[in-house]
Amino acid sequence: MKRKLFLILLLLLITINISGCWSKKELNEIAIILGTGVDYTKDNKIQLTYQLARPAAFGGGGMGGGPGGGAAMNQNITWVVSATGDTVFDAQKRLAQQIPRHLYLGHNVVLILDERLCRHGVLDVINFFHRQPLSRGTVWVMATPQEAKKVLESHSELQMTSAQAVGFLARLRTGYVLRFRDFSQDLASRGTNPVLTQVELKRQGVAQGPGLEKVHHHQEIVLTGAAIFKGDKLIGWLDCRETQGLRWLLKGEVRRMGVTIPSPICPGKKISLEVMKGKINIDPVYQKGKIKFFLTIKAEIDVIEQQDEEDFTRPEMIKAVENIAAAEIRQRVKTTLDKVQGEYKVDSFGFGEAFHRKHKREWSKLKNRWDEEFANAQVYLTVKVKLRDTGLQGRRASLKR
Amino acid sequence: MFDFFKRLESPGVKEQSWRSQKLKTSLKENLTTLHFILADCYDVVFREFTFAQLPDIRLALIYVDGLADKIQVSNFVMRSLSLEVPPALPKEYKITKAQAFDFIRDRGLCIHQIGEANTLGEVIDAVMSGDTALLIDGHAKTIINGARGWEARSIEDSKTEAVVRGPRESFVETLRTNTSLLRRRIKNPALKIEIMPIGKITHTDVAITYIKGVVYPGLVTEVKERLSRIEIDAVLESGYLEELIDDNPLSPFCTINHTDRADKVAALLLEGRVAIITDGTPYVLTVPTLFNEIIQSPEDYYQRYFFYSLIRLIRIAALIIFLTAPASYVALLTFHQEMLPTALLLSIAGQREAVPFPTLVEVLIMDLTFEILREAGIRMPQPVGQAVSIVGALVIGEASVKAGLVAPATVIVVALTGIASFTLCYSGTLPLRLIKFPLTMIAAFTGLFGLICSLIILITHLASLRSFGIPFLYPVMPLSPAELKDVVVRAPWWALLTRPHLLGKENLHRMKTGLKPRPPGERK
Repeated sequence: MKRKLFLILLLLLITINISGCWSKKELNEIAIILGTGVDYTKDNKIQLTYQLARPAAFGGGGMGGGPGGGAAMNQNITWVVSATGDTVFDAQKRLAQQIPRHLYLGHNVVLILDERLCRHGVLDVINFFHRQPLSRGTVWVMATPQEAKKVLESHSELQMTSAQAVGFLARLRTGYVLRFRDFSQDLASRGTNPVLTQVELKRQGVAQGPGLEKVHHHQEIVLTGAAIFKGDKLIGWLDCRETQGLRWLLKGEVRRMGVTIPSPICPGKKISLEVMKGKINIDPVYQKGKIKFFLTIKAEIDVIEQQDEEDFTRPEMIKAVENIAAAEIRQRVKTTLDKVQGEYKVDSFGFGEAFHRKHKREWSKLKNRWDEEFANAQVYLTVKVKLRDTGLQGRRASLKR
Repeated sequence: MFDFFKRLESPGVKEQSWRSQKLKTSLKENLTTLHFILADCYDVVFREFTFAQLPDIRLALIYVDGLADKIQVSNFVMRSLSLEVPPALPKEYKITKAQAFDFIRDRGLCIHQIGEANTLGEVIDAVMSGDTALLIDGHAKTIINGARGWEARSIEDSKTEAVVRGPRESFVETLRTNTSLLRRRIKNPALKIEIMPIGKITHTDVAITYIKGVVYPGLVTEVKERLSRIEIDAVLESGYLEELIDDNPLSPFCTINHTDRADKVAALLLEGRVAIITDGTPYVLTVPTLFNEIIQSPEDYYQRYFFYSLIRLIRIAALIIFLTAPASYVALLTFHQEMLPTALLLSIAGQREAVPFPTLVEVLIMDLTFEILREAGIRMPQPVGQAVSIVGALVIGEASVKAGLVAPATVIVVALTGIASFTLCYSGTLPLRLIKFPLTMIAAFTGLFGLICSLIILITHLASLRSFGIPFLYPVMPLSPAELKDVVVRAPWWALLTRPHLLGKENLHRMKTGLKPRPPGERK
């Protein structure tokens, strides 16, 4: 009996081993993908680009190098490879023949789609990233008017890799950014259209000494605006200024946004404000077949910089600044709204979802032609601004008395 | 397969035939027998002399050189019997041969502890334990003089459980000294010390110690019963007893703790435990043992409770790190790379780039090296200690990393594991040190899934253990929330009102309630 029990136990123990390290992959057997780019080639094929980390460049320990090595040490920090195929997976299989390791998407930071692909329709390639168990929902999705491959072939001065640099840049939310999971949701929603971050390679920095021309005259990936989609197809771009208006309209994601307004007392001088809190309330009204949206934007702002001598200890001055700021914000939002609603005729702001929430019955009739309905909708905008903080100076410190 | 563990039917240890033999009246006959029994015992001293009061009575002293206190024996036994007449007696007082035994016992000896023996077994036992036997011609019994005195190690600091604040005294090899250390802490007749000799050849004294009125009486009975079952030739250390009275002989976990700290034993007795003191070793067994003793140290109760509550939490963290760090490291690096932050993963990947081994092998090599160094540190002759520690530090820290055999991260993980184990009670960490290895391997084969399954099995096993009837994981499982105040943290003394409920149910309350210091006006 005991012998039998022991035998069974032994067999059970063996099964642990023959389970065979099922999905085991040693660290030096995987190629860590940091950035992914997808281009649509002229012959209508899909070109997949991976930015792979070169672990050797991340050194550490006794192997010399160490952090801060990399490009400055005359070795590549990343290896950018690309291949073309009919589908993303097809392209990846071709890539796999060039890379002596398992491709590992678990740490992908950014997914960059080029303009041709976006205009063609992103659904063709998005599915691959949905099905990949390791591809994360937190990946930043971006669109570029340049070639995604070229964008990924860059390096960063501050971060170890350009993909990580873009990731950190996105995380700071200085511009409009979107994660993969939100992108997927927007794609699936009838009440809104996706908006992607626009990135471009731009020449940055100058050589700071002889011999450094090559190192310091390089291109960095920067956020340059937003890409407006209709369904899964790109229909136009927004520049940086218009993107700020977009950010007001999208759930008021405007914290730390700067607003610069003309001074109320001295023409030609400016005041710079920083938004500390912003909120947008969308109130859809459906009356006799007419759709109206009442938008209320509430913002709390701080004074950051003044060029003239406005006295913020006086309530009427505060009132004046609040009014000008409200007008400025209103202007920005209006510009964006005019462009997206008027020119592109799409709802990129989730107004349809707000409408859906309030008018469920009407929505079922309108949802299939929502973008057309939206293009004809009236939008009324109210902006309320509160000047919260003027800093420790009531007036400019360097004021002659 | 399990024959090794099977109880072999053994006749037991053979009794010596002379043990129950009675002494004879004739000194000569007795001495002949004793000489025969004690033949070739070079250290046994026979000394015959004449009784000063009655010269026709011959006396004989038998003792073991080195165990008996020779000064006492010569000054207060031999001198008084062979030279001096007890001064209070008139010169003409004569005693008869028949009265000699009583006279000597009552008036002739200046020894505190005196006993009588009338079988050979008793005499030999007494002599072998260090007493001096006095044989008197014409009497079939002997006087046993308790004049023991031998070279013993003096009381020193505890070697295994150091404290910054707290008593430094620890037990020594002498049972009598050890009981005195306890008695000095618990000056109460309720502290009972019962002696039970165990070991057919060694006759080792084992003291069962408890506080009457605090301990659950059934526990004492059970301890005595388990000890009296033992029939073994020798007990050289309390470890022999530990394995013979353990509840869970087939578990890697030892459910009987040991310590050489007198204050810890006193505290455990006061919680309603029983201590088993074995002659010849400073390590005292305490039962029942709970798993949480691994994170408790006597110092916790002496230092300010705020900081030492933090220390308790740190020890819990150390326990988890100690048990799971190498296994999780292997699992994360070989299966779940996505669970590490990108920057950390890249840094570790960079370190591992040149390492020629799989992560598992790397960790096992380092773990093994660490265990070897640790074992060497204990076993090596003290003068070479420095050499080993220098070489060890160099091998672990520098050379293996420089040579690219091991990633620096692995060194950190293994070193952290090793250091974490030192924060815990040493004896409790031994089974965990063993389990760490299979755990690491399972993690390497099945990832975190297997690791978690193994931990569940481990915890189930721990929950199934009992130590003298008390669940090993008590008070965590079965949960007794009120008592976690002495497990997860260390509550201040004025809040530690009760003994552990399962142990001290006979006498639950340790102190009066409301002892928390208050300003004079608010005192009740």
